[in-house]
Amino acid sequence: MSWLELITRISTNNYLEVERILKSHPYVRDAAKRLRERKMAVIENLDDYVKATMESVSRIGGHAYLAKDKQEAREIVSKILGDKKLVVMSKTNAAYEVNLREFLISQGKEVWETDLGEFLVQITNGWPSHIIVPAVDMNRERAAKAIKAIDPGISENASIEELVAAVRRFLMSKYINADAGITGANAVAADTGAVILVENEGNIRMVTVKPQVHIALAGIDKIVPTLADAFDEAMVQAAYAGLYPPTYVNLTAGPSSTADIEHTRVSPATGPKEFHLVLIDDGRLEASKDPVLKEALLCIRCGRCYFSCPTYRLLGKDWISTKSPYNGPMGVMWNYITNDDPWPSFYCTHSGGCREVCPMGINIPDIISYIKGKGTKQV
Amino acid sequence: MVDESSIKGTLKLIRDVVYKNLTNEYLPFPMDKALATKWAYEAGVPKGGRVILYTSYMYQMAPVFKSFEKLLPTVGSLARIGFLASLGSRLVKPSDAEVKRASTVLKNIYAITRASRPGVGYLYEEEPYSGALLYELGFIDEFKEYGKRLEEFFKIRGVEEIITADPHTTFSLANYKRLIGFSIPFKNYLELPPIGVTGKGRFVIHDSCIYSRFLNMYDLIRQLTKDAGLEIVDDEKVTGRGIGFCCGGPLGPLNSKISDEMAKARANSLKSVNPEALVFCPLCYENLSPYIPVKDFAEVISP
Repeated sequence: MSWLELITRISTNNYLEVERILKSHPYVRDAAKRLRERKMAVIENLDDYVKATMESVSRIGGHAYLAKDKQEAREIVSKILGDKKLVVMSKTNAAYEVNLREFLISQGKEVWETDLGEFLVQITNGWPSHIIVPAVDMNRERAAKAIKAIDPGISENASIEELVAAVRRFLMSKYINADAGITGANAVAADTGAVILVENEGNIRMVTVKPQVHIALAGIDKIVPTLADAFDEAMVQAAYAGLYPPTYVNLTAGPSSTADIEHTRVSPATGPKEFHLVLIDDGRLEASKDPVLKEALLCIRCGRCYFSCPTYRLLGKDWISTKSPYNGPMGVMWNYITNDDPWPSFYCTHSGGCREVCPMGINIPDIISYIKGKGTKQV
Repeated sequence: MVDESSIKGTLKLIRDVVYKNLTNEYLPFPMDKALATKWAYEAGVPKGGRVILYTSYMYQMAPVFKSFEKLLPTVGSLARIGFLASLGSRLVKPSDAEVKRASTVLKNIYAITRASRPGVGYLYEEEPYSGALLYELGFIDEFKEYGKRLEEFFKIRGVEEIITADPHTTFSLANYKRLIGFSIPFKNYLELPPIGVTGKGRFVIHDSCIYSRFLNMYDLIRQLTKDAGLEIVDDEKVTGRGIGFCCGGPLGPLNSKISDEMAKARANSLKSVNPEALVFCPLCYENLSPYIPVKDFAEVISP
């Protein structure tokens, strides 16, 4: 099956499934509307919300950092890890954005992606094709060949279930022995410093609980005013990704703790001893002050706009390629914000599908048009 | 990965040649105006007037716009050596068959317009191009500047209402209104009462992205075709508002290969719904017609 045939089938199924979910659970649309307003309130006052979030993280016994760019983000994480050797990661685009995995490997650390799709991308030295489904371009045959490299017992004719089980066996030993777990964040609540993560595989639950150090990386655009808003974001993101209900929603607010003796809360308990939140600016603050670009910061990375986009459906990951982990219409915006690169915008056909399907109602074509304008000024 | 240097080269040509020509002549490149206006002479359309039908040469020159990427380097070279004005009109020329087809379409659009706007006129050789290409390629400041000149141009000629014939021109005027407060009222011909419009045939609609998703005409177009007696086959998976696919036209000036692949992909999905497609935009027609039998709405109806 060609890429075009595959992505057309997936796009159609996703479109219909999200429409079904929204019809069956109308409260999701209400939550999306509410969330847009709440996120815009943060964007309008991003400096203050960053400060409030960092204070909240400190208050609950965690450590918060603000990295102004990619290099600073890598340095902060490297310093937190020190001489810790084995690191497990859940799928985090912020880590891709700052090229963290390759950086840590170059420092001699053993680093494993634990999301199945991301794991397949890692072991094939590939690049994610979609923000939610990174190995969307990989069929069973290719996955079997890739997994055979880490589990020689696997046949190239193995079923999808057998392939998933092989990866599970391989990663289980990594979870158990990992020194640190690195995740992203679907939302960060400014009022409590809590991080919300949505998933289906259970790998994030392992990464956030088993290692004794949990590091969460998040763009400052992921900040929402309250924990209630953060749950809204988890719900809306999962629904618009077409995976509803999600199997797991994880909340992390500081290191593990207990109040079982004399109702006195102490830390750590069974889970991690340390919790670190690395907030990443990397162009976001500047974008928040731009009257057009600021709307891009509303994006909740559901990836639905990819499927609606003719250019993405034709070019796939080759559109923006390894310049950025963000692709499709939202990737044009995010590649500009984080890399100051306007050129992929010129392959946008302004079909307008992205605006139709965006849960946050972002006028993506208008923003892309604005980015094109930035490009024309450079010629 | 996007071909950055090719994009930059094309953009430079657009700015240096097309924008300059627009500023001087109100046309992106020299055209054979006798061919472009022949339909109006044949139909006896009044010259000028308070209400005008504004074609912006889109139907007449669509075949040329499609070949823009191939044409641009030549146009650029001619402009550099000062030959553009003398040779351009011969260079930028659609075929006789294309002219004939555009004439049929425009005469029908004129008839629909005249039914609710008796006395509607046309600017003939004076008609300016809308500037759509500037907006679509990101020359927003230039587009705004051109829009101001365009408004003045129409006002000087006493134009009080504009009826547009295609989505790109309509969208340009909508964007001028939004960006610079363009004040002359305008309507697309599909928004006029379809007095006595009838047609026949069974089609799958290929929506113009602009009409359906930017100008909110998705439902109106379905109602219009149904009222005209056309049989429309829709499939949510192919023609749904949020999953619809571009004809590839807007990519033509920058990358004709990807533009063609997109057209082919769209044509194949349309064919899975119905053997023949119906379009509402001259560029959609140009892009899709090599890959699927396709008709414009204005050529399958009798006003």
